[in-house]
Amino acid sequence: MLKNYLLVAYRNLVRHKGFSFLNIAGLALGLTACLLIGLFVHDELQFDKFLPGGERVYRVYTEHTGKDALETYSSVSPMFAPTLRQEFPEVEQTMRILMRASTSLLEVGDKKIYVEDGLYVDSTFFGVFPLAFKYGSAAGALDAPTSIVLTENLAKRFFGDGNPVGRELKVDKSSFLVTGVLRSGLSKFHLNVNYLVPLAAAQIPPARMKAWGWNQFFTYAKLKPGTDVRQTEAKLQAYINEKVKPTMVGEELNDKPFLQPLHDVHLYSAAFKFDLSVRGNITYVKALSFIAAFILLIAGFNFVNLATAKSMQRAREVGIRKTLGASRQQLMGQFLSETVLLTLVSVVLAVVLTALLLPSLNEFTGKDMAFDLLRNPELLGLLAVLTVVVGLVAGFYPALVLSGFQPVKVLKSAVVTDGIFGRVQWLRHGLIVVQFALSVFLIICAIVVFRQVSYLHDKDLGFNRDQIMFFPMRGQNMSQHYETFKNELAQVPGVASVSIGYGFPGDQVAGDGLIVPTDGEKKEYGVTQLMVDYDYIRTLGLELVAGRDFSKERKTDKDQAFILNETAVREFGFGAPDQALGKTVQWEVWNDKNPDSLKTGKVIGVVRDFHYKSLYDKLEPAVLQIFPGAYWKVAVKLKGDNLSSSVDGVKQVWGRFSPESPIEYRFLDQNFDDMYKAEDKLKSLLWIFTGIAIFVGCLGLFGLATYAAERRKKEIGIRKVLGASVATIVGLLSKEFLVLVLVAALIAFPAAWLAMSRWLQDFAYRIDMPLWAFLAAGLTAAAVAFITVGYQAVRAATANPVNNLRAN
Amino acid sequence: MIEIENLEKIYRTDEVQTKALNNVTLRVAEGEFVAIMGPSGCGKSTLLNILGLLDEPDGGRFAFAGTEVAQTSERRRAELRKKHIGFVFQSFNLIEELTVAENVELPLIYLGVGAAERKQKVEQVLEKMQIMHRRNHFPQQLSGGQQQRVAVARAVVNSPRLILADEPTGNLDSSNGNEVMELLTELNEGGTTIIMVTHSEHDARYAHRVIRLLDGQVVLENLTQAFSA
Ligand SMILES: Nc1ncnc2c1ncn2[C@@H]1O[C@H](COP(=O)(O)OP(=O)(O)OP(=O)(O)O)[C@@H](O)[C@H]1O
Ligand SMILES: [Mg+2]
Repeated sequence: MLKNYLLVAYRNLVRHKGFSFLNIAGLALGLTACLLIGLFVHDELQFDKFLPGGERVYRVYTEHTGKDALETYSSVSPMFAPTLRQEFPEVEQTMRILMRASTSLLEVGDKKIYVEDGLYVDSTFFGVFPLAFKYGSAAGALDAPTSIVLTENLAKRFFGDGNPVGRELKVDKSSFLVTGVLRSGLSKFHLNVNYLVPLAAAQIPPARMKAWGWNQFFTYAKLKPGTDVRQTEAKLQAYINEKVKPTMVGEELNDKPFLQPLHDVHLYSAAFKFDLSVRGNITYVKALSFIAAFILLIAGFNFVNLATAKSMQRAREVGIRKTLGASRQQLMGQFLSETVLLTLVSVVLAVVLTALLLPSLNEFTGKDMAFDLLRNPELLGLLAVLTVVVGLVAGFYPALVLSGFQPVKVLKSAVVTDGIFGRVQWLRHGLIVVQFALSVFLIICAIVVFRQVSYLHDKDLGFNRDQIMFFPMRGQNMSQHYETFKNELAQVPGVASVSIGYGFPGDQVAGDGLIVPTDGEKKEYGVTQLMVDYDYIRTLGLELVAGRDFSKERKTDKDQAFILNETAVREFGFGAPDQALGKTVQWEVWNDKNPDSLKTGKVIGVVRDFHYKSLYDKLEPAVLQIFPGAYWKVAVKLKGDNLSSSVDGVKQVWGRFSPESPIEYRFLDQNFDDMYKAEDKLKSLLWIFTGIAIFVGCLGLFGLATYAAERRKKEIGIRKVLGASVATIVGLLSKEFLVLVLVAALIAFPAAWLAMSRWLQDFAYRIDMPLWAFLAAGLTAAAVAFITVGYQAVRAATANPVNNLRAN
Repeated sequence: MIEIENLEKIYRTDEVQTKALNNVTLRVAEGEFVAIMGPSGCGKSTLLNILGLLDEPDGGRFAFAGTEVAQTSERRRAELRKKHIGFVFQSFNLIEELTVAENVELPLIYLGVGAAERKQKVEQVLEKMQIMHRRNHFPQQLSGGQQQRVAVARAVVNSPRLILADEPTGNLDSSNGNEVMELLTELNEGGTTIIMVTHSEHDARYAHRVIRLLDGQVVLENLTQAFSA
């Protein structure tokens, strides 16, 4: 019996290739999207779950009442850990990690590598996070102040595959001895880590470690089994209020502590400040889960739609089978096995697609998710259940309708209609409207985001960011002889100019006050301080709109000259740029020994506004001045051709000044492009989702159009016999669907307008809402719908009417 | 075999009521070959569908092989149908996705006959209908006469006691039509009861008896010339 079912199912599948393809492709695509999202969501939920005893680990965070608002700090005072351990008997262990500047120079012999994510930790680290070791063991691994534990990856880079335990390694010139190597596979650990050293190595003065106001440590507590964490949390808050706050002198403590479960750290810390952990966002995880469910629903709906439409053509077959003695159950069995077969093919296809797409998703998300069915029987089981459930659910309706046909009726006429089908028309139409509204919405978003992203990347920033090599100076020798260093760089063939300073576009900039004395009154403005040299303006290609550049020839330029940007001129009320020249401004010099010393000077020039920050931020008043005390970063402008030899030349000069540390350079335009990574990702995501949405929407429409054409076969035949042209009939059939698309557009337009206005709001510099995007999206949807429906309509209209009219 | 008394069938559409069968009383004995004739729309197909348990009467009595079936459940009727009745239609009604052999096999599958026995029976009947060589063809690849032979083969494969044929030669030329009539006669001689609807006086002559319908009523029952002579 089953064999016969499957045989007929197979023949049907092959006979109606186009239809089968559409139905399978639609479901496969939907399932693929669900699988990929599912893998991502699953991975996000898996963070830190691999750690034994992790359910008893909590992270201390505080709510800090600052000047403006309540902020959540993930790094807290070093005192929380000892307090928790000493005053709270339910605390089994505590552990702190120092938050610090990220990059250090690691050296083994001649090999020098800048490495990020080195953690300074309490020796209890492995008690709280029992990570697996490849070499060495957790016991005592962090006891000696000079011990260092590496990750497998980092160990490989320095020592190859051998066991490096006992070998020496220098971190920022201090010596450490390797005590262990962690096994790889830390992708679901909430901390990025390359190596671990004991907190003692940071040599923090003991007095500082007692400061309640120094929020510099990630602090974890492992509670004894059976502890009620809410109680501990309340006790901790009370302790801070009663015991700690009264002892504070000279400063105020505005922190209220909380305990966050380790398993929540990854997903529930999106709004935390100073958080170094690998953070996801529960909102995205929820939204994605919802989207996945929605996709599955739509795909399933389309599947049912197509299958039902198709089944209308098989009414006759049902009639024959019933006449021959098939029971209703047997017929249901047959149609269900057909949908299950279709689903099975779709699932297999989805699995293949998922496996093919996973590497891209991994690259996109920076994860290393695996999709290994053989080694994951649960996943395999899930897919099997999914196949059966989707197949049964999707096949149930057509099976029910079909098996209910009266053989006498269906054998009599070529065309069949059924009651239920007509009655759920509004639901079918409603879902089509939803799908198309989604398509239109996404098309608009894709266009707007694409335009804004292009704008971000291409906008004239007011300076020339091309071919500028950019790096920080390293080592005493280089900083002390920065002038000679700069001269030698300038001599390298292919170098156009060199500027050393602090405050380059795309890099950190300092904000500080600037005093503008007007009418005997001193007014202070918050401005951006760009500490520059005599070649800054030339190197970046800034445009002077008034006055002149700094000049080495004029002795006073070093200590008594300032250059403003246009915004500063405007904000200080100087009038036109020309009028600003010669105005006096003052600045409190950065000087530890003499904090009150004032630098007084005149405005000698005004530069056209340029965007030294991302376009998220509004331009602020900026001041350029010569201040060697802050010099740190180097920008080298290269000439057009043969970049690599120029870069090599720069490296050689670097080697003469700072042989002990390798150069670590980037190009300035890279910095800018990196600012918009999130937008770039959003852009590609939107294109993908738009494509899927359109395809899926078309499938739904196609099913509906097929059904309509089938239902009206006889009517069309008669109309044709009476003389209707193909065009008239196509128009007749297409009209009602174009109305659906129109309704969809009317829903999508305001939604897209709102969403995109809000999104654009985040950018201080943005495009105007492109109205043509709405028109384009509407027309695209209408065109796509017309093609989809038109295909069916033309087929129906060109069919030989005799075939459809022949009775019995 | 069949006893019908005062049978009624009324079709109701939104506005009109059509009395398709009106007080039809009829007996068909085991082993008979009966032809039903009458003008178009007189209720022949309606009667045949009720006799074949495909449709329910609205009134009257109907005993099939001694069992009262006028009001039985769809399930029970399907049961009787697949065990005892074979159908032959004017338009063949073969399933296009199945081969000749698979079409013929279908009633046996629904009867729950085992695979080996099915194979044997199918071959037997195909042999008998002389379409064995076409067993793996699909219906579209056959001529009308061949298709109707397959339909007959399918109708008889489970050795039903009754065969109902609705204009079995209606779509065939005369030589193919005669062939089908010969087949039916042969089956009848083997003991199968046959009730056939036809418009053709020529075909009706193969039957023992002709029942004439007009406007849903039996107007005449007579033996055919072949038997009256
Ligand atoms: N499903 C139906 N709904 C309404 N009326 C019907 C239906 N089927 C048949 N009728 C009507 O019942 C009457 C008998 O129809 P039936 O099909 O039995 O005629 P017939 O004798 O087989 O005609 P023909 O020789 O043309 O096949 C006709 O008047 C027809 O219009
Ligand atoms: Mg008829």
